[in-house]
Amino acid sequence: MSNTLRPYLTAVRATLTAAMCLENFSSQVVERHNKPEIEAQTTKESLLTPVVISRNENEKVLIEPSINSLRISIKIKQADDLERVLAHMFTRFLMMRAENFVILRRKAIQGYDISFLITNFHTEAMFKHKLVDFIIQFMEEVDKEISEMKLSINARARIVAESYLSQFS
Amino acid sequence: MADFDDDYEDFVDTSIPARSEYELNAGIQDRSNQVRGFVSSGRFAEAVAKALEDPPAGRDAQGAKDKNLQVVMEALAAPRGTDIPVIVKQLAPYQLDTLMKFVYRGMAYPEAFNPSVLLTWHEKVTEVTGLGSIVRVLTDRQTV
Amino acid sequence: MSFPEVHQLLHGIPITCHAFNKDRTQVAVSPNNHEVHIYRKAGTSWTLSQILEEHDKLVTSIDWAPETNKIVSCAQDRNAYVWTLDAASGQWKPQLVLLRINRAATFVRWSPREDKFAVATGSRLIAIAHFDVDNDWYITKHIRKPIRSTVLSIEWHPENILIAAGCADMKARVFSAYVKGIDAKAANPVWGEKLPFGTVCGEFGTTNGGWVHDVAFSPSGNVLAWVGHDGNVSFSYGPQGPVFTALSTGLPLVSLSFVAEDAVVAAGHDCIPFLFKMTGQQWEIVDRIDKGNAKSASTENSAMDMFKKMASRAQTTADVELNSRHQNTITSVRPYLTQGDRVTMFSTSGVDGKLIIWRL
Repeated sequence: MSNTLRPYLTAVRATLTAAMCLENFSSQVVERHNKPEIEAQTTKESLLTPVVISRNENEKVLIEPSINSLRISIKIKQADDLERVLAHMFTRFLMMRAENFVILRRKAIQGYDISFLITNFHTEAMFKHKLVDFIIQFMEEVDKEISEMKLSINARARIVAESYLSQFS
Repeated sequence: MADFDDDYEDFVDTSIPARSEYELNAGIQDRSNQVRGFVSSGRFAEAVAKALEDPPAGRDAQGAKDKNLQVVMEALAAPRGTDIPVIVKQLAPYQLDTLMKFVYRGMAYPEAFNPSVLLTWHEKVTEVTGLGSIVRVLTDRQTV
Repeated sequence: MSFPEVHQLLHGIPITCHAFNKDRTQVAVSPNNHEVHIYRKAGTSWTLSQILEEHDKLVTSIDWAPETNKIVSCAQDRNAYVWTLDAASGQWKPQLVLLRINRAATFVRWSPREDKFAVATGSRLIAIAHFDVDNDWYITKHIRKPIRSTVLSIEWHPENILIAAGCADMKARVFSAYVKGIDAKAANPVWGEKLPFGTVCGEFGTTNGGWVHDVAFSPSGNVLAWVGHDGNVSFSYGPQGPVFTALSTGLPLVSLSFVAEDAVVAAGHDCIPFLFKMTGQQWEIVDRIDKGNAKSASTENSAMDMFKKMASRAQTTADVELNSRHQNTITSVRPYLTQGDRVTMFSTSGVDGKLIIWRL
């Protein structure tokens, strides 16, 4: 399984680097405004072709670039019901605190678990290669986090079950 | 002020002549047979080059594009992982750009095509073209 | 001072654009806000001498006319100002230019004779302004057709009549900006015989789509070069002439400048300026001008660490810095020192707040 993780992350890193070539672009639709074109979707020529990078059916990344912003949406590995619940709770926890994470989007794109919105103002304030690192790191951490939570839940369930059953022994 | 959003199609290069669905499908059937022939005789590089030839273009050719994708994916899935870098080195820059478009197109359907093979292609193509080929997949309005 | 000269003018703030004065003792930059900062050279470094405040939104472009010593600035507030130095007080006096546009102004350049300037705008038009002595103000004329999106850049032809424009509708175009009463009747052997205002003398697309970020004329004015978001640099030898494309292997380039009739410097998201040359039959990338600092791989990373990182994060070392002088996108490349027909030094500025002067 883990032998496909490296090429998967390599592809995400390369695509993200290629997509994160943003510049300041003032709105053509609304006077004196500056909007992320990928969210506004009003100026078609400012959008680029969206791409998907997948590792398998359950793990994929959607990258939607535009002239001044890009959206990256991640589908987190969910092998069973427990992982599904954990991923949902974990992403919900993060998204409710989106303003603390700067680039996190409050709502995930349909079909994905978590979305980030990166604009030219982010790439101006932060180093681009560090932003890419952050996303990649997030992607590997989140899998780890969820499998750790799963382990600890299982461990707790076992302890609970053992102490409950010990009454009868 | 006039809104130009409806002209979106005009941002697509129209220099490529429109071909009828029938013509396109016949071409793909032909190509499919040739690609299978190359694959069965172990000439994988020729199979890939043939599959990448003259991809159907335009917004109306969605049906033909889907069929063509099947052919390309067959050609890409045939060689062993160790043969991939050798094949990539034999392709011209414009062929690699087209190949990259198909790699992304294929990855959008992980249930139909094996993503791990496509990820290997992705990695090997990027080694040769740099990030340039990915940039061109993003900018090109001529999708496959 | 050894080259390249690196000046960190701003920390953590991008330099949106920069323009030097004639003798290169002062530079005007936009620190990614509504101000124009003028730096004065003091020994080997630059000190902030004046702040010009009149715009109320991001200043997108500045140009400094060498002979008349006037600065023109334009901004996303839809305005342009011409700044004239008041000799008595030493202060820059602004004069508003009515551009008659309703979207952002994106790019501005003085014409070679400094009697006109062109402003690129998000209103899908180019405004050509010239000074009207009788009324003591600037009059603007618009070039509208066939522009279909925001104009991103502009470059004047050396003969003062033609301009080239790079546009977000994926086209580079050459227009006539002939103004009656200012320009003598002119015809250009390459770009056209009859050139009334607004004539489209050439229209060129990008090979693989993508917005045209920047355009440039060669010193003779016979070659037009443009860079697209597809990462390619293209060259045209006139409307009927051949078109060459140099395929890039990296990220998109956003700015370029001719340094000789057969050589171009272009830079962009790779943070490195590249040199393109006409080598016989084809334009090719011949050199990366920033060779980087040959850093030895840090020894504290054990082999074990390296493999771990390779396996988990798909990269070999956790690099804090990029191996280049600029640490973020280069947004502007401009000639710094010209000797005859050749540019021997050029300057770049970028999102990392650095202004760098390079020697070729």
